[in-house]
Amino acid sequence: MEGEGPVSTPPAIQTEGLTKHYGSVRALNALSIEVRTGEIFGFLGPNGAGKSTTIRTLLGYLHATSGRARVLGLDVERESVEIRRKTGYLPGGIALYGSLSGADALEYLAELQGQPATRREELCERLQLSTSDLRRRIRDYSRGMRQKLGVIQALQHDPELAILDEPTEGLDPLMQHAFYGILEDMRAAGRTIFFSSHVLPEVERVCDRVAIIRAGELMALQTVDELLARRKRKITLRWRGAAPDLSFVPGLADLQVRGDRATATLAGEVGPFVRAVASPALEDLTIEPASLEEAFLEFYADGEGPSHGPRENGSAKPSEEPR
Amino acid sequence: MSGVLLVRVWRFASTRLVIVTLAILVWGWLLLFFYSQFSEAIRQLAVQSPIFKQFTNFGSGNLFTISGAITLGTQHPLVIALIGIFAVGGAALAIAGERQAGTLEVLLARPLPRRSYLLTQLIAILAMVALLVGALLSGMAIGAVTQGLTGELDLARFPLMWLNGLLLWGAFTSFSLAVSASFDRPGPAIVLSLAFLLVNYFLEILGSFWTDAKWTQEYSLFHHFQSGEILAGKADLLDFMLLGVVLLVPLAYALWIFPRRDLAAPA
Repeated sequence: MEGEGPVSTPPAIQTEGLTKHYGSVRALNALSIEVRTGEIFGFLGPNGAGKSTTIRTLLGYLHATSGRARVLGLDVERESVEIRRKTGYLPGGIALYGSLSGADALEYLAELQGQPATRREELCERLQLSTSDLRRRIRDYSRGMRQKLGVIQALQHDPELAILDEPTEGLDPLMQHAFYGILEDMRAAGRTIFFSSHVLPEVERVCDRVAIIRAGELMALQTVDELLARRKRKITLRWRGAAPDLSFVPGLADLQVRGDRATATLAGEVGPFVRAVASPALEDLTIEPASLEEAFLEFYADGEGPSHGPRENGSAKPSEEPR
Repeated sequence: MSGVLLVRVWRFASTRLVIVTLAILVWGWLLLFFYSQFSEAIRQLAVQSPIFKQFTNFGSGNLFTISGAITLGTQHPLVIALIGIFAVGGAALAIAGERQAGTLEVLLARPLPRRSYLLTQLIAILAMVALLVGALLSGMAIGAVTQGLTGELDLARFPLMWLNGLLLWGAFTSFSLAVSASFDRPGPAIVLSLAFLLVNYFLEILGSFWTDAKWTQEYSLFHHFQSGEILAGKADLLDFMLLGVVLLVPLAYALWIFPRRDLAAPA
């Protein structure tokens, strides 16, 4: 409308100082994250970091000790039922009734959802769950087939928001590929996906942004590219004659020279380094591609706490600027 | 309440329910058959042996009168075990069992309030119990008709007996469900529910075998399911009220605690 500014879409998930204590154990400590509508958001952390606690609090299984959370604009404490009407949830290591056939289980859960399973057929086709598979009892399913059924039950009603806990666990590489395609199509359709995973290459591949938590505290909330940019690359080079002068290259560290070879780590841009070594004397150069796994491990290897992470600007919300 | 869940709970229990219903129906008929065929012979034995006579007074029942036989039939361990499968076992597993299996996780991911889940389970199990108590009394009614005992019985009082039985088992169902809502694992839920049933049963039976301990019966819920008194036209409203209160108190607790509980990820 004329005179009005652009209508901003509310975040799909928003937590503010979300805290959960189990007695003296702090499972979540003042977690503040914001998941944008229409993005694929990766939620990373080792076992016990608080990923499941966060998901379970968002869906109303757990009650927060303090702090607030909203999902699709709805309060998780007061409007949990409405949230679950609009979301699809795949629990980690999903359990389904073994005595039911796959088709009966999907139908039962769709009826409980109270919405037509508009995407069931398409999802079964893409994940290669045939009609004869669906006729079999779930107790006879392999782990991968159960996981496929879990993915389908979470997405069959085309939810606005999908919360997926370790969604590719048990899926073979072909099905993982099909699953990534499903996620990308959902994103294209404006749906939001929030998923936790231990498989870092898949997070790197499909996610727009990533949150990393440790011991219930947010370590980073950045785009995948930003996370990769902070990662130190390993460099190996070999030359003829005199060693190149690398002392002025910004971000270069751990330099070790042995005869005509050198190894080092490089943080940040590679351009200055490449310019420094570019000469006819250079015989070989290897720069390992940055991976999210390295970036992830760095958060845990160097004992970096939240105060050193992206929150260093002191804002209540984590900064999303690359450091 | 969720109709979809209600139908599914019944479907899951259907085979067991059919078998137990038939067994209870036959038991009801058999009891009247025994009364008709052997009550006189048992009476003779009781006259000859005081110890035997003492053991014929099982609970509040006996085999010398038709109302005593019916009371015996409703309090026999076989009936307690058969109805207990659903009223105690089913209710104790309804939440804690689903929790441990991980299936509650998937159900509560739907727009299903926890209170609605609990009430649906209660109604589903109460309906099963109503069917089983009905089958027991139907078996007895069939037995009375086939054995030509209708002259000794007022069948019009059976609905009141059914209501009394439903309240008794409803109280056990409600208690077991409340316990189930309070634990994450079915083990403690089953043990506590079973203990509640057995203590009540023990107090009733103890008082019937040992006259000095007759006062213990007053503290047993089974003592407030008095088929004999109802058949004699002496139904006590207080029995119904007491059982109703024992049904409602655990239910109120369950409705309060279940939505407030943290449901951590199943192990």
